[in-house]
Order: sequence, then C-alpha cells, then structure tokens
Amino acid sequence: MEEITYSHIPIATLITAFLLLAPIFEWVGYRKGDLRYDRLAKSMVFFVMILYAPGAALGTGIPMFIMGLYPEFWSRFANLFFWPLIAQFVFFLLDLIFLFFLYYLTWERMMSRKPLHIFFGCMTALFGLLIHAVWDGLGSYMMTPGRDLPMVNEAVGWSAAALFNPTYPFLFLHRFFGNISYSMLLTGGVLALKYLRCKDPEEKEYFGFATDLTFAIGFVTFFAMPFIGWGYAAAIQSNAPVVFHAIMGGHVSPHFTIKMILIGIFLVLGGTYLFVRHPRKVLPLALSAGILSLYLVLHWHPPLDWLGGDPMVWRITYTLLLVGFLIFLWMMRNRRKLTTQAPWPWTLFVAGLAAFFAFALGGFVRSRGRSPYSVYKQIEKPEVTAREADRFLLYDKCLICHLQGPNVFSRYETRDWERRVDRERERPGADISDEEAARIVRILQELYP
Amino acid sequence: MNGIEFPYLGAKWTIGAFGLLHTSVASLAIGVAFVVTVAQIIAYRSRIHRYDQFAKRCQFFHVCIYNVGVVLAIGLIFSLSGLYPQFWSQLFTHFFWPFIVEEFLFFLLATTLTFHYFFWDRMWGHKKLHITLGALLTPMFLLQFYIINGIGSFMLTPGFGESEASLFRGILGWDARAFYNPSFLMLTFHRALANVSYAGFFLAGWCGVQLYLTNDRARKEHYEDCGRLCFYIGFTAFLSLPVIGYFYAHVLMKHASEAFWNLMLGQGDIMVGGVDTWWLKQLLVALMLGSSLGYFRYTLRDPAPFTLPGIMVVSVAVFYLMFYVAMGMVMTWRFFWWMLAAVAGGAALSWHMLSYGRGTARAVYLFLGLLAFMTVVLGGYAREASRPRFVQRFSHYDSVYKPTERQPVLMLPITPEELETVLAPPPPMGPAALIQSECARCHTLDRVRHYPKQDWERVVAQMIVYGARLTTEQAQSVTAHLSAGEPY
Repeated sequence: MEEITYSHIPIATLITAFLLLAPIFEWVGYRKGDLRYDRLAKSMVFFVMILYAPGAALGTGIPMFIMGLYPEFWSRFANLFFWPLIAQFVFFLLDLIFLFFLYYLTWERMMSRKPLHIFFGCMTALFGLLIHAVWDGLGSYMMTPGRDLPMVNEAVGWSAAALFNPTYPFLFLHRFFGNISYSMLLTGGVLALKYLRCKDPEEKEYFGFATDLTFAIGFVTFFAMPFIGWGYAAAIQSNAPVVFHAIMGGHVSPHFTIKMILIGIFLVLGGTYLFVRHPRKVLPLALSAGILSLYLVLHWHPPLDWLGGDPMVWRITYTLLLVGFLIFLWMMRNRRKLTTQAPWPWTLFVAGLAAFFAFALGGFVRSRGRSPYSVYKQIEKPEVTAREADRFLLYDKCLICHLQGPNVFSRYETRDWERRVDRERERPGADISDEEAARIVRILQELYP
Repeated sequence: MNGIEFPYLGAKWTIGAFGLLHTSVASLAIGVAFVVTVAQIIAYRSRIHRYDQFAKRCQFFHVCIYNVGVVLAIGLIFSLSGLYPQFWSQLFTHFFWPFIVEEFLFFLLATTLTFHYFFWDRMWGHKKLHITLGALLTPMFLLQFYIINGIGSFMLTPGFGESEASLFRGILGWDARAFYNPSFLMLTFHRALANVSYAGFFLAGWCGVQLYLTNDRARKEHYEDCGRLCFYIGFTAFLSLPVIGYFYAHVLMKHASEAFWNLMLGQGDIMVGGVDTWWLKQLLVALMLGSSLGYFRYTLRDPAPFTLPGIMVVSVAVFYLMFYVAMGMVMTWRFFWWMLAAVAGGAALSWHMLSYGRGTARAVYLFLGLLAFMTVVLGGYAREASRPRFVQRFSHYDSVYKPTERQPVLMLPITPEELETVLAPPPPMGPAALIQSECARCHTLDRVRHYPKQDWERVVAQMIVYGARLTTEQAQSVTAHLSAGEPY
C-alpha cells in the first residue's frame, strides 16, 4: 500500500517546502531591497503551480487505490480519522485559494503592497503545513497506534490519542526539516546545472547566487535530522519494538544502510563544496559544529554491529571517519577557484539527487518496517505471507530479551532451533504458545539454517 | 447501528453538498476545455490574436477550477468513506478498475492541462502542436467522465438484478453488465452536451461581468465578441438536450420507475422546503431558452431562414416545444403551460435587457451564466434525490458496514447460499400496487383519479388495448378496486 504513495509524496513534500520558503525569501528580498530573492521566491511558486495539479491528482489516487485494495483498512481508518480528514480537505481548499488567487495571481499587482502579499504567502505556507501535520498524525498512527483501530460500527470520528500518538512529534519534525533539506539540496543541484549552461553574465550571477543560497540552506537544515532521528528511533523502540529491530539489523536494514550511504555521499560532496566556496568562517564553523553533533548522536546511540567484532570497532571507525572528514574539509578551505570549474555543478546535482533518494528511501524503510501490518499489531495486510507473519512473531517474542537485534540469531553456533525455543519458553515471562513456538522454529530454520 | 453524523448538515446533505459542488466545477472544466480549443482554432485560422488571449485566460480559469474540483473530489471521497463506509467499500470493490483508469486519466489530464497553460508562450512557435495538445483535453475529459457516468448511472439503474447477482457471486474490480447499465448511454450523451452548453453559457456570463467592469472601448468590443462566441457554443450544445432528456426519462421510466415518478410528481427528496427541484430546474431551462431566443430575435433583426443560426434557433425552439408537449401528455398539461410562460418571460426579459443596455448583451450573458450554473446544480440534485431511499442496496447511501466476519473483500451481510432467496422474483402484487405500476407506466395517477367510477370496466379494457400488461384476473381485481373507490 505504501508503495502507491511514493509517486505523490515527493511532489507534495517539494510543494510544502517551497511554499514555506517562498515567503521567507520574498521577505528577505523586501527587507534587503534585493530583487534576486524575489525572483527566486517567484520561480519557486511558479514551479509549485506547475506541480500542484499533478500532485493533487496523484494524492486523490492514494485513497482510491487503498479503498479498492484494502477496503476494510480504509473503512476503519476513515472511521477513526473522519474529522482530521475533513479538516485536511478544508486546509487543502484554503491552501489552494491562498496560493492561486491571493499569492501567485497577485504577485505583480501587489508589488507596492509587499507586506500584505508576504502575509498571503505565509497563510499559504501555514495551510500547507497544516495539511502536512494532519497526514503526519495519520501516518505515525500506522506505526505507533495510540489507541485500537475501531470497527466501523463503533462510530469514532476522531481520537486525540490516535492522532497525537507517541511518534507524531518526531515524524512531524523529521519530515519538516527533511523536506526543507532535501528540496533545497535538490534545488541547489538543479540550479547549479542552470548556472553551468547559462551564457549571459547577469543570469549566471543570479543562478550562482540561487545555487549557493538554496544548497547552503538544505545542508545546514540537515543537521537537525540526527537529533530528531535519534528521538524518533527511541520512540519507535519503546512503542513499536518490532519496527525498530526490523530497521536496525532486521529485514529492512539493507535499505536503511543504503540510505545512510546516500546521506554520507551528499555530506561529503556538499560539505566540501560549501567549505571551498565560502571564504567567511561562519558557515564552515557551523558545519563543523553540525558534524560534531553528528558525532555525539552516534556516540549516544547504541553501537551498531554491522562491522562485527567488539563495539569499539564501530566507535573507532566512525570517530576516524568524522575526524578525517573534518580535517579534509578545513584543508580544502579557500580553494575557491575550484568551484568555478565544470565538474562542480554536476557534483552538486549528484549531492541533490543523493539527498532526494535518501529521503525517498527513508519513507520506504519506515513503512516496510511495520510489515505485515497496515497498522502496527492492529490490522494485517490481506496479502501477508506466512513467512512475513512468522518473522514478525519471531521479532516480537524473542527480541524483547535479545535486545541486540536480529543478528543475535546468526551468532548461535548450535542451530537446533526446536530445542533452543523450547528452553527459551520455560523462562519466566516468555508468553509463547505451542502454535507460536512451531512458527518461530520454522522461521528460524528458514532464516538461520 | 450508529454511524458518524455530520452536525447541522447531516450525512445525506454533506454528501449532497460535496457532490454538487464537485459536479458543478468538474462539468465546467470539461466544457471549458472545449471552448478553449474552439477559441484557439478560431484565433489561429483568422489570425485574430484577441481570441488566443481569451483562450489563454479561459485556460487559466480552467487550471484554477480544475484544482478546486480535485480538492472537492477529495472531500467527497473522505466524507463518503467516513459516513457511508459499506456503500463506498462495495462500490469501490465492484468498480476498482474503472476507478483506477479514472485516476490515471486524472493524472494525465492534470499534467496535460498544466503543460498546456504554463507553456502557452513558450510554445508560440509550435502553435499547431499547442492547439492539438489542448484539443486532447476534451477527449480525455470525456473518457474520464464516461467512467464516472458508468458508476453514477449504475446507482440509479443497476439493471435487472444481474449486477447485484454478479456482486454476490464475487465479481470484483470490473463488471461490464453493471457498468453498461440501462441509463449509461443516455446519461453520457446528456452530460456531454450539457457540460459544453453549461461552460459556453458560463463563460459568456464571465464575459458579461468583464463588460460591466471595463470602460475601455476596445476591451468592450473584445468581450462582446468572445461572449458571443461562448454564447453560440452554449446554445449549439443546447440544441439536442430535450431530445436526449426525453429518451433518458423514458429509460428511467422503464428501469427505475420509482425514481422516474419521484421526478415527475415531485415526491420524496425531490421536494426541498416545499419546492419541487425538478420543476424548478425545468423552469430555469425554459427561461434560458426564452432568453436565448429573445437574444437572437434582437440581434438578428432580419434572420434569413436558411442560414445556420436561423436553422439552429428554429430547431431548438421546435425540439423544446415537442419536449414540453410530450411531457404535458405524459405528466400534466400544467407543465406545458408553465414552461411556455417561462419561455415567453425569458424572451421578454432578454429583449428588455438588450434594449436597456443599448445593444450590449452583458446583462443577458450574465443572466444566462447564472441560470446555467443553477440548472446544473438543480439537475444534479434532482437526479441524485430521485433514487428511492432505503429501498435498494445501491440506490442509497444509508448502509453501514458491519465487519463482524471480516470478509476479505465484499463485506456483504449475505452468503452465496442465500443468493437464490434474495434474487427470487417479488411476490404477486395487489390491485393497488398494480395500479401504481401499470397505469403509471404511461400517465400520472392524477389522470386515473379523473375518470368517473362507473366507467372502470370500459376504461380498463381500453387501457389493455393501449398496452397495459394485465392478465384477466388482474384486470378484474383492478376494476373492482377502482370501482369500490379504494385508495391506491
């Protein structure tokens, strides 16, 4: 089901981020008297206008697909979240009215009444953000349901416990900063290519300015992500432990690793560019602080055992990598002429693409983590296979004690799973029925023969 | 069972409000696409740039209303799935593939429309390609609403029970018999032409507003021209609506007789606050007809009888006259006289507006635009409200899903074993029911009440000769019932 949404989400998130930043750019341009900001804001809104109708059409498709393929899930979900969905409709309509009729259409006419125009832009951004906030409530509920999913004959309409569930604030913040970060990095990459192709010096100057501004915003915003992500992971760990284990070493961990590699790519490429490009110390210092904060998050986080061996191996590896990266960045400073050469715009474009795919993969990892459930432990997907259901059971029953994650199973030398499970069942607090034990043995034999 | 209730409006009116708002906007969008193409072709062929400018403005208006339509569709989907989960889940399970094709077209249309408008100036050197791209919107829209018509008409005329049977037997995703149901064709024709007519008149109304707002002579001329163009498009599509409407009514009479009589007699939800919405709609149409005829009479002072506008005007007038006569015969002659009065009133009013405005048609355009909008809203409402409530599973919204068995797909409170019982023919009807169904097949029950009591034997025999399908026993019981003055 989640896969259906991937066509809509990149468009919708790009629109939300652009609408948030456009009035800010417009305001900065107004205060500074710099028309380049105004031009940038207007082009972003123009781009939103182009994307709006296809994005909305795809957005309509999501409930249509879900209603047809998962009628029971949607009926019960719409019963629980009826009023948030109606609020969503109202926000959508207001967003549209402000965007089309009051913000975009009046751009030229209201040049002399800029504050009012910026106010309209802020209202557009506000309603876009409210749409985003409602969807985050619904999306986070599917992973950490704050209350049971009601049957349809039990009319609910809305529930604060369901909407404001444990992971709601983290998902909202994660997406808020994530949207701005990835959309600005991608925009910076695209603008860099325009800079490369442009012949007119005036235009070239504008595209250079726009590239620097958007890319720097995207890059700096990114450093909020590790902190939010850390809190988000903790909330998932305590409220949906199976999802946590699925991501950290479980069946979704390869995707999560790819996501981290993509993040590494744009950090290295983007960080190098910004260090080389900006002569003043403010930005390099801010980026260094960001990289140090990343170090702290990794330090607080439980050691990941991807590298095998002692946890110290992991700690030494990331310390060396980050320190080495920082030294490299400071060595690259003030080589500004490098950034005027042809490969740089392409480098920024690659960094932007890496950011986009990291973002897209993040959504995939989150939704695949709760498989085979549409709503965590509430309603299964009809197409669920026995293997998926057994794997969930294994994580659910065994990783309560084996907190190191699913890799713990591969470390056992003797693979007599039947005897092993029988012995574990006798431990106090192990609540495993005969049928469940048989399923656990079956999946262990299949995954760790 | 208690479902979610919508405060103040109630569930039924919430759906009605969303549905009508969406339909009035979406229908307009379909028609505007056509008008834009016509204006673009005229501009290209005649090299008159102002038609192209007009087309561009219309297309921007189109982009705006398209998005409003999409948002309203989302509201409709959300409210249906929350307020009527069983009905909506069933409909979706039954017509999943049409809905998915619909969604695909939705996206294709949104992309094409956006591209067509936002790249208008950049494609200036490729005008033919640009016009072709715009022209593609109309067939895409028609295809899209072809699908919605299949589903919408199914709700009114689900056929002879085969559709229900196929649903019970577990036909999922697509059901040709249900989709191509008896009223599908008529609804499609009716809506296709009505949408073009509506958009034409609406855009003429918009030109009327612009004429009020501008004092510039050149702009005035421009909007008079464009308004005339839109008016002609609207009026041309108006031509065949009574013919299609008549046959549509005929289909309803045969396949959804209760809905038909609700419409004709103003029963059930057709009456809102003591006002018969179907009659009101017909009155508005008659006013539009009268205003249009008045407009032609005023602007074409000496119309040559065999020119295209002349033939068109006479044809429309004749078609509508035939329609009113036919409805008078079937229903009541009051209908005929009321419509004739409305036509005359509309003609007089438009004549007065044109004279008062010294030839400018701005008031007439605006008046027609408003009437077109109200007609579409009322027509849509009357069609939806005509379905008898609490009678058939598909013809109302009031079922609420009971997920006790968690049936994986259909969620119907019936097992395949019960199928034969459910689909068994209805028990024989009594004389009162026979009178309602057989006599009302051709005329109103009012007419039955006008016959003197002593004549019933002769009248019933005569009606059998005319085509009433009564056996000898049924005819005797009906005659006895009527002669005794029993209610029916």
